[in-house]
Amino acid sequence: MIEVLLVLIVTALATSLLGVFLVLRSLAMTTDAISHTILLGIVLAFFITNDLRSPWLILGASIAGVLTVYIIEVLSKTRLIRPDASIGIVFTALFAAAIILISKYAADVHLDTGIVLMGEVIFAPFTRTEIFSWSIPSALLQMSIILLINLLFIIIFYKELKVSSFDPKFAFIAGFSTTLIYYILMTLVSVTAVTAFDAVGSILVINFFVAPALTAYLLVKRLATMIWCSMLFAVINSVSGYFIGITYDLSIAGVTSFVAFITFIIVFLLNPNGFVSRKIRSLNQKREFNRAMILMLMNEESHQSLTKSEIISHFHFNAGKFDKHMKYLIFNNYVTRTNEHYTLTELGEEYTHYTREKYDLPV
Amino acid sequence: MMDVLTSFTFLIVAIGTMVLAFTGGLAGTISVMKGQSLIGDAIGHATFPGVVLSFMLIGIRETFTLALGAIILGIIAFFSIQMITKHSKVTLDGALALILSSFFGLGMALMSFVQGNPDYGGTQGLNDYIFGQAAYMLSSDVYLIIIASAISLLLFIIFYHQIRIYIFDPVFSRTIGINENFMNLLILTITILVIATGLKAVGAVLIVNILIAPAVIGQLWSNRFPVVLLIGGFSGATAAFTGTYISTAGENIATGPAIILSLSAILVLSIFLSPKGILRRGAHKGKLGEDQYD
Repeated sequence: MIEVLLVLIVTALATSLLGVFLVLRSLAMTTDAISHTILLGIVLAFFITNDLRSPWLILGASIAGVLTVYIIEVLSKTRLIRPDASIGIVFTALFAAAIILISKYAADVHLDTGIVLMGEVIFAPFTRTEIFSWSIPSALLQMSIILLINLLFIIIFYKELKVSSFDPKFAFIAGFSTTLIYYILMTLVSVTAVTAFDAVGSILVINFFVAPALTAYLLVKRLATMIWCSMLFAVINSVSGYFIGITYDLSIAGVTSFVAFITFIIVFLLNPNGFVSRKIRSLNQKREFNRAMILMLMNEESHQSLTKSEIISHFHFNAGKFDKHMKYLIFNNYVTRTNEHYTLTELGEEYTHYTREKYDLPV
Repeated sequence: MMDVLTSFTFLIVAIGTMVLAFTGGLAGTISVMKGQSLIGDAIGHATFPGVVLSFMLIGIRETFTLALGAIILGIIAFFSIQMITKHSKVTLDGALALILSSFFGLGMALMSFVQGNPDYGGTQGLNDYIFGQAAYMLSSDVYLIIIASAISLLLFIIFYHQIRIYIFDPVFSRTIGINENFMNLLILTITILVIATGLKAVGAVLIVNILIAPAVIGQLWSNRFPVVLLIGGFSGATAAFTGTYISTAGENIATGPAIILSLSAILVLSIFLSPKGILRRGAHKGKLGEDQYD
C-alpha cells in the first residue's frame, strides 16, 4: 500500500511545483479549464488507439489542453467575450462533448465517468512496469518522470519564470518571450494533468495544482521559499489525505482535496498576518484609540471635569465598555475620580500634550 | 420522432429544463456583466457535497431536501470565497479554484462513504447530480424548478432597476443609497436558486454553462439590457428543448451535456453571424464610420 502513497506524493509534488506559477499569474481557473478539456483529448486518442496506457493519450490530451488555452485567448482577443466568461464557455462545451462520447461509445471499457471525477489512485499498483529488474507501478514511473521534467523546467527557466510572473512588461522589454514561456508552462500543465488523471481524476487535479501553492502564498514572500513551502504542504496534504482515506475507506483524492482546504483555512486564519491576528490587532487599535479619545476630550477646555453620563453620551459608549476603559485609565494613573467627576492627572495631561505634538494638533 | 415529442415524460422534462435555462440566462447575465461569471462554477461544484450531506442526514433522495442541502453549501462556498479574497492577497481566480475543487473533493469523499456503507440504500441516483440526467427527473423536480425559477424571476422583476444600476454604475448605485451587501445577497439568491434546482437536469460540473452562455449570446446580439436578457433567456430555453430532445431520443446521452452542446452551437453561430460577430464586424464598423461622418 505504500506504493499508493508514493504515487499520491509524487503527483502532488509534480503538480504543486507548477501550481506556484499558476497562482502567481492568476491562471488557476485556466488550469481548471485545461484539466477538464484534456478529457476530450484522452477520449479521442483512446478511440484511435484503444489503449488507456498508450503514450498517444498523453499527446492527444496535451494538444487538447494547449488548444483550450489558445481558444480562450482567441475568444478573449476578439473582445466579444470577457476572459472569465470565455473560460467558462470553452471548458464546459469541450467537457460536455467528452462526457457524451464516453457515455455513448466507451461506457463498457475502463474509461468511465467515475475515474474522470476522482481517479483511482488505490488501483495504481495493479499496472506495473519493469525497470532495472525492479517492478514498480507504471503510474509511479510516469509521475516521477513528469516531476523530473517540471523540476528541470523550473531550474532552467527560473529567471524567466520569475520575471515574467512578477513583471511581464519588464520581461517584454528585456526581450524574453513571455508568450513562449506561457505556452511551455501551459503545455507542462496539460501533460502533468493528464498523467495525474489516473490518480486523481480530472476535476480534483486542480486542487493538487493550486491548493498547496495558495497556502504557501499566504505565508511567504520570496519565490524560492514559496516553492519549497508549497511542496511541503503538498506532502502534508497527501500524507494526511492518504491515511484518513485508508482508515475510513473514502476516496483518497477527495479527502486529500478537502484536507488541502483545511490546511489553507488554518494558515489563512492563524498565520502572523492572517485573519485572526489582523482582527486582534484592529480590536487593540480600536481600544487604544477609544482610550486616547477619552483623554483628549477631557483635555479640552470646559471639559476638564466630566461625569460618566457626559462621556458616555459624547461617544455613544455602552456602560460596560466605558467602565472597562475607565478602569484601565484610572489604574494606569491617567485619570482620577472625585465625586463622580473624572479629571486628568498630571500623567494624563502629559499624554494629551504629547499626542497633540505628535499629530500636529493645536496645543 | 413524434412519439418522443408527444410523450408525457418528455414534455415534463422539457418544460422543466426550458424554464430552468430561461431563468439561468437572466440570472447569468448579471454575473457575466459584472465579470464574475466563474463564481457560478465554484458554487455549482460546491453544491454537490450539500446534496450528498442532506442525503446522509435525511436518508432518502427527496427533491426538496436535496435542493436545500445544495443551497446551504452553495452559500457557504460563496461566503468563503468572499472572505478569502477580502482578507488575504489571494485573487478571486485562486479562491474560486480552491473552493470549487476542495468542496467537490468533500463531495467525492462523502459519496465514497455513502456508497461503501450498506446503511444507505438507493445511492445510485446521486451520481445524476454530477452530470445531470433529466430523463430520470420526477414531476416533483420539475415543480421545484418552476417554483424556484418563479421566485428568481419575481425577485429579478421587483429589483430590476436596482440591479441594472448596480451592474452598470456601482458608484452611482452607492450614492443613491442602494445597499451593496443587499444587492450581492439578492444576486446570490437569484443565482443559487437556479443552480440548486438545476443540478438534477444539468449537473454540478457543467451548470455554469447555462448561466454564462445565454448571457454571452445575448450580449453578442444587442447592447440594450432588456434585449440582452430576453435573447439570453430565449436562447437558453431553445437549447434546453433541443438538448432534452436529443437526450431523450438518443441512447446513453446525458441531458446536461446535450443542452450545453446545443447552447454552444447557438453561441458559435452568434460569434460569427451576430451584428458584432466576426463575419459582420467589418460591415458594422463601416456603418458606424458612415454615421459619424454623415
